[in-house]
Amino acid sequence: MSAVEVRDLRRTYHTTTGVFKRRPVEVEAVRGISFDIGEGELFGLLGPNGAGKTTTIKMLITLLLPTSGTATVLGLDVVTDARAVRERIGYVFGGDRGLYERLSALDNLRYFAELYGLAPSTQRARIGYLLELVGLEGREKERVEGYSRGMRQRLHIARGLLHDPPVVFLDEPTIGLDPVGARELRATIASLTESGKTVLLTTHYMFEADTLCDRVAVISKGRIVAEGTPRDLKASVADSTIVEIEAYGVDDDTVDRVRRIPGVASVSVEDRDQAQVLLVQSSTGLELTQELLVALQAFRVGRVASREPTLEDAYVALVEES
Amino acid sequence: MPRSRVRRVGRILFSGLAFHVKTLSQSNFFILVSLIQPVIFASIAFYMFRAGGRAPTLLYAALGAGLMGVWSSTLFGSGGAIQWQRWQGTLELIVVVPPPLIQVLLPLTVATSAVGLYSIVATLAWGVLFFGMPLHLVHPFMFAIALIVTVLGLGLLGLVLASTFVLYRHANALSNLLEYPVWLTTGVLVPLSLLPGWTHLIGWVLAPTWGIKALRTAALGGGNPFVGIGMCLLLGCVYLLIGGIFLNHFERLARDRGTLALA
Amino acid sequence: MKFLRVFFIGGLIAYKALFNWLKPSLYIPTMLGSPLFQILFFTYLGRFSGVQNDAFFVVGNAVQACAMSAIYGMTMTIANERFFGTLAPLLASPANRLAMFLGRALPVVVNGLVVSIFGFCVGLLFLHFHLALGQVPGLAAVLVVTVTSCTGLGMLLGSIGLRARDVFFISNAVYWSMLLVCGVNVPLSVLPGWLQGIGRALPLTHGIAAARRIAAGGSLSDVGALVGAEFRIGVLYGLAAYGLFRLFEVEARRRASLERV
Repeated sequence: MSAVEVRDLRRTYHTTTGVFKRRPVEVEAVRGISFDIGEGELFGLLGPNGAGKTTTIKMLITLLLPTSGTATVLGLDVVTDARAVRERIGYVFGGDRGLYERLSALDNLRYFAELYGLAPSTQRARIGYLLELVGLEGREKERVEGYSRGMRQRLHIARGLLHDPPVVFLDEPTIGLDPVGARELRATIASLTESGKTVLLTTHYMFEADTLCDRVAVISKGRIVAEGTPRDLKASVADSTIVEIEAYGVDDDTVDRVRRIPGVASVSVEDRDQAQVLLVQSSTGLELTQELLVALQAFRVGRVASREPTLEDAYVALVEES
Repeated sequence: MPRSRVRRVGRILFSGLAFHVKTLSQSNFFILVSLIQPVIFASIAFYMFRAGGRAPTLLYAALGAGLMGVWSSTLFGSGGAIQWQRWQGTLELIVVVPPPLIQVLLPLTVATSAVGLYSIVATLAWGVLFFGMPLHLVHPFMFAIALIVTVLGLGLLGLVLASTFVLYRHANALSNLLEYPVWLTTGVLVPLSLLPGWTHLIGWVLAPTWGIKALRTAALGGGNPFVGIGMCLLLGCVYLLIGGIFLNHFERLARDRGTLALA
Repeated sequence: MKFLRVFFIGGLIAYKALFNWLKPSLYIPTMLGSPLFQILFFTYLGRFSGVQNDAFFVVGNAVQACAMSAIYGMTMTIANERFFGTLAPLLASPANRLAMFLGRALPVVVNGLVVSIFGFCVGLLFLHFHLALGQVPGLAAVLVVTVTSCTGLGMLLGSIGLRARDVFFISNAVYWSMLLVCGVNVPLSVLPGWLQGIGRALPLTHGIAAARRIAAGGSLSDVGALVGAEFRIGVLYGLAAYGLFRLFEVEARRRASLERV
């Protein structure tokens, strides 16, 4: 049996727009997605902001009703068996909200331990174990308002694991963390599957998905555009080459012109200090560098290099195609 | 209901109450609303009654001002409870736990009225220390019971506030608006007989009306405190029912529209 | 010219940005609803205690209602600069500080007048309060002075709010205390001497006394001394506020205390 089964799940939001004449607007956040997560698997849901990751997670954890389609967690329906689902899942989101600021970490954990019905006799040991797991032991009596982002995030994880849930949902847990904090958190996440838990992780950091996930699905504009192991996804762009061009002051029109050069599969732009870096993906064997430089001749160009594709390049290609 | 389940619900309610009383006690705003404000209003009433000569006892004024404080802290604490949890990012977390939302929110609203007890203690102490008020209670034991039942009644009314104010975008403004009218129509300081007849109906369905009646008769004598206590309990049950229905409605609506998190 | 632009336009924009209660859905319950019931509450309490007649409470509470706009309004428009993190860019600008400061007061004064006039209307419509038409201009003059004077106190609280961690705590406590010591509901003569002293040192007290005499048929010349005292007190608070504001500005540059919360 799969731990999580999603079938043709859809979600539409109804909002209004306009200041004077309010018009109803329908936004399709999730447009019919299906996937399965096996027991003990660490599954990544990748996608840009607004792709529908959080909406999907919220439907799975019973906070949002699907417009249509079905989803089950450990065989329990997220709409009709909401309470049973809630007993079996943990939910952790990124960012520094969601904690009772004026109280200590210990009080925060104790409160949720009661809400999850932990037996009084086991509470103390469980909380102690979790504080150690996330590396907050010794700081648990301090008020949360003085905690750093990383400490808050680790406290969130401890809270999500209080009732030892077999399935854990992590919504962009490393967002806004410094590199060291993010690395420590990834180690904690990796240890979850070792203890047999099923984990669904959403992120838009590719290397994170690459190092952690057994399988990933790329979601874009509410649809799943690819699914497989990180290796599978990389293979889909294996026969391509990435040309990195450092340039200054390139405008959108020029990027579009580059995109239209025959043989170019995708173009993305990253900002680095004062310069921009154009990442141009094309089939291996096509020597496009010359043409690219011609298209960019009006701009100052710095370092030019070509390299093998990474998971991030595969992701960029998939999202751009969709 | 099996005994283990009763025990579990009891634990959730009591530990939640302790947790929220602790949280609220750490907040400057609650100290302000439940200590400073009632003491100032008690002083106003003391001086007015003293100057007017037509004065009831000082204890009457102290009890009234104290209960005004209980109402203020319930109103501001419970009225904005759901919005505050949403703003803090904890609303989703308390919805996603297995127990029904009402079991999670009820301890919070009762906590907001329970911290109002500070108000009653403060106005009584203030009266004794600065105005030489004799603290003689006719039925001390009944007074204690009346106090507990009143706080419970207001806490349950808080559940109704929490679950209805959430439909209004500016809960705080609504709280600002409802402070004085309830003080007036529940007769905590001004006898209801002075007010126009139609306002009695409003007072009749509000727990503070019966709470102050019970507290007054227990403290000053001249009546049976059980009338007030009984009515407080009865209204409390009605509030629980209404609050439960509204909360269910709110949760379903919020899950349907996706409004649990701050957009 | 520049001074005037900063004063009028800058003041109005800052007020809109920082005063949270301007939307009708907030303004009506907070600025009109709560004074309405406050007047009713204290008038009935007055009838019960037998201290004074309705007019005493209507005038006292209607004039006091302007203090709400003045105190909370000014506290918000100044202290919220820090809350929203906009104080630093503001202090980095070359604009005239006095114009910036006073400009924020004008909308607050206007709003205070509106709220007070509404309060008097409540008294006329629902309670035993009568006002001869000829007394209206005099009363209006007293109101303008009183609300301006309260705004001076509001400025001082706002300036304190630039540094104090929880300024709304202070402004609430001050606001409620004024209900007790400024002769709003309790005749000043009933209070012990030290409370009377505090009351006389605050804005509002002399203004309310003047308004009561005018409402009872007195002329503006009868209350000249009271109005003068009210005005002087307001100016003193305003000066103290401005001094504190400049002091904090200088100190903030020296000790980098601007963004410390």
